[in-house]
Amino acid sequence: MGPYSSLRILTPRGAVEAKRPAKGVRRAIDWGSLAPLRIRARMVAEGVWAGAHRSARKGAGVEFGGHRAYTPGDDLRHLDVRSLLRHDHLLVRQFETETDRALRLVVDASASMGYRGSRAPGAKLAWAALVAAALARVAVKSGDPIGLSFIAGSKDALGVPVRGGREVFERIVDALEGQSAEGDAMKDIAVLDEAVGAIARSARRGSVVVILSDLLDLPPQAPQRIGAISTRGCVVVVVQTLDPDEADFPFKETVRLKSLEGDVVVETDEAARDRYLAALAAEQRRWREELVARGAKFLTMTTDRDPVAAVRAIVEATL
Amino acid sequence: MSFLTVLALGIAVLVVAPYLAHRLRRRRADERPFAPARLVPPTPPKARRRSRLEDRTLFAIRAASIVALALLGASPLVRCSRLALSRGGASVAVAIVLDDSMSMRAKDGGDKSRFARAKKGAEEVLASLREGDAAAIVLAGAPARVGLAATTDISAARAALEGVMESDRATDLEGALAIARTLVGELPQIDRRIILLSDLADGNPDGPPLGEGGDGRVPLWLAMPELAKGGGADCGILSADRAGNRTRVRFACSSPSAAEGREVQIKDGEKVVGSAPLPQTALGEAIVTITADDTRELFATLTGTDAIASDDRALVVVESGPAALAVVGDRTDDELMTGGAPVVEQALAALQIDMAVRPIPQAPDRREDTQPFAAMIADDPPGFTPEQRHALAAFVDRGGVLVLALGRRAAAAPLGATFEPFLKNAVSWGPTPSQGADPSSGSPIIGEGAASLGDLAPKGRATLAPDDVNAFEPVLKWTDGAPLVARLARGRGEVWVTTLPFSVESSDFPLRPGFLSLLDAIVTSAKERSAPVRGDVGAPWAFAGARRVEVEGPLGRMTPARDDGVLRIVPTLIGPYRLTVDGVEELRVAAPPAREIDLRPRAVVPSATSSSLGGGVSVVDVSWAIALALLALVAAEIVVRSLTRPRREPA
Repeated sequence: MGPYSSLRILTPRGAVEAKRPAKGVRRAIDWGSLAPLRIRARMVAEGVWAGAHRSARKGAGVEFGGHRAYTPGDDLRHLDVRSLLRHDHLLVRQFETETDRALRLVVDASASMGYRGSRAPGAKLAWAALVAAALARVAVKSGDPIGLSFIAGSKDALGVPVRGGREVFERIVDALEGQSAEGDAMKDIAVLDEAVGAIARSARRGSVVVILSDLLDLPPQAPQRIGAISTRGCVVVVVQTLDPDEADFPFKETVRLKSLEGDVVVETDEAARDRYLAALAAEQRRWREELVARGAKFLTMTTDRDPVAAVRAIVEATL
Repeated sequence: MSFLTVLALGIAVLVVAPYLAHRLRRRRADERPFAPARLVPPTPPKARRRSRLEDRTLFAIRAASIVALALLGASPLVRCSRLALSRGGASVAVAIVLDDSMSMRAKDGGDKSRFARAKKGAEEVLASLREGDAAAIVLAGAPARVGLAATTDISAARAALEGVMESDRATDLEGALAIARTLVGELPQIDRRIILLSDLADGNPDGPPLGEGGDGRVPLWLAMPELAKGGGADCGILSADRAGNRTRVRFACSSPSAAEGREVQIKDGEKVVGSAPLPQTALGEAIVTITADDTRELFATLTGTDAIASDDRALVVVESGPAALAVVGDRTDDELMTGGAPVVEQALAALQIDMAVRPIPQAPDRREDTQPFAAMIADDPPGFTPEQRHALAAFVDRGGVLVLALGRRAAAAPLGATFEPFLKNAVSWGPTPSQGADPSSGSPIIGEGAASLGDLAPKGRATLAPDDVNAFEPVLKWTDGAPLVARLARGRGEVWVTTLPFSVESSDFPLRPGFLSLLDAIVTSAKERSAPVRGDVGAPWAFAGARRVEVEGPLGRMTPARDDGVLRIVPTLIGPYRLTVDGVEELRVAAPPAREIDLRPRAVVPSATSSSLGGGVSVVDVSWAIALALLALVAAEIVVRSLTRPRREPA
């Protein structure tokens, strides 16, 4: 539309007036050099190992997977009677099961994810969207069903329910492109529950849950809520997505820093750098301890990292 | 209070404007979004401190700019205490008499010496001159001399004044004022003045008031009378002579009380090898017994402090009296005629020369025997033996003055006795066709005395060979053109020849006033050529005949000046001077004259202090200086702002 605020279009059915959205209604994602998402995601996925993965989970299934020593509580139906009779050893027969591991992507679209520092290729949300799309592409290649949900973000942009097939990638990309960084997840735990609670309730055992968030403005209960998913048999990988400026605090002069969520305004200078980095490390340590204790994985990445390497690291973390 | 004053004060009030602006300006740092802001600790103290410092610098500069602006507006009102002539509309011719004598070294309790203050005053007077004004500079340190002839180029006068330095000379105010009157007396400017910048301490406090006796056409203005009110007490060492283990230190004090509690010490480096209290007298001497090695260089110093420090220390030299003058002649003849000392000795006594006159019966035949003498007068010598000729030639070559008064005996020299190498041919004696000298042929060194030599009633005269006549420079001639007095430069010395002896039996020559003039010229020449170990500071040392002279003075190497073909050095500072004259090393000492230590001022005529000639307050336009300062402040603000501007972080 260029500089026009409105445009009248003559159609066979009459004149239609197209209006430009008012300023401030929606804050589009600063894609930077990460656009276009669809093509970039395909390229990233090409660079990642995209073969079918076998479930490492052993248990109920049809294909024999070997023996292991019996431990009290094992299902006696799997007790290898022949081994007991011949060798007087209590062994349990194991079976491998090839599962379709649903990939549940959770992308933080709160206002803080719209930040882009001086050295980043794009906003945090843009980078997270690229990684999420690339993961979706990898999952599509593997034939796994994929779902997408957002923490905060635009109310107009809806998530994608778990679906299989090739068209789900297109829907996920459309949903990511239609998202914008807005909302405050800090104030209301319901915002987090809306995205994570549904997964905790509906995700089947073995599902892979990848959460892309800066974890900076989530409520204090967030680690427990997210870790709870892991205890239900899902593989949870939490990727803390930070801008390079957030990771190393490059400010030299006196600046007034205003948080994107909440009303925190701080006047500071480079003297605060060490204390800031210590506080950030403490925050990350808290997240890691909470998540790892519940079997989840915790990764920290900055948006200047190569998306291919990032996706590969996430995929490896899910194995 | 004029309108301009009110306006200037009004602008000055604006100095509070930058203060208010700085107070009101809430310097806030750039606000930036930053998601983890809640993790960032605030550091306001440091930031605010830096901000305050930056603000303070800027505030100071801006406030100073406002003040400069106010001063710029009020600059015609600024009055500075500076010396300036009071003048009408006509151009002015001034002769600045600047006293650079030793007494001007006194500091009178302040940081600056009298000389420095006087020089500053002279600079201010020059600054007050306008186009078309003429200025001359006369220096009153003895001998009084012209620092700069009258010129309308004021920048040249400033440059000349810049080159004037302090010295230890005596004071010659009368001479300086006479020179100043001469310099500006004939200038076309109607308004002519002499500006005297002196402490008036010329050692003659009871003399007639300075400025008295002038013709009134060139009034005298004592521009800085405060220089003469300093008073002060001073003691100085005039000489320090050593004989064996005794050192005789002559000293002078401005008053007997100035010597109270002080003593003289003889030092070998920093080690004191002898000391004695200073007698409480204005002029006296102290004998100090020392035990130092003869070869060591010793200095005599006065303990305590006084107005002038430079005269409190002097090199100790081996005692030596002033150079002597020898009169070689047969005393018996003259004594018979006059009944007393020979007439030449009486004439020398009448001249009151500062030299000892020693009669000797015959010319010395050893070189060392000539050492005590600066001049030797041989009256009617019957030639010289080879040994005598050799010794006399060496005497003349080293700077002695030999006078040969040729007479009857010269023409009857015994075998082997000649006047070589001074006269290459024999001398004859005979009747004279002329009865006296031609006054018009007299050299300026004889002066008006030549007129008295017109009739000498000679009973004969010596005649020189034409070759010898041509070799000598005639000083006075007979009326027939033959030389009566002639001289010849040889080495560093001179040979004078007269064709009449100094005997009243032969002529009336020694009875004429012109004879005294001749002797005075001879003695002056001898003094100039002699090398006394100690001489008055300011008195020139001439090295006639010397080809190369190197001088190491108290302030380092000095370059001799050549005047009339003679190398000269003027010792302007007290202290030892190490000379190398044609490869021969000498040590000379410049000593202060006793009268210069008398700091009592001399009176001046009352009109010299009249405020109608000038004063110490003047309206001075300082706009240019303030404008420059304002420009500098603006530049400083730009620099400070560029240095303190926060670096913009790339987005």
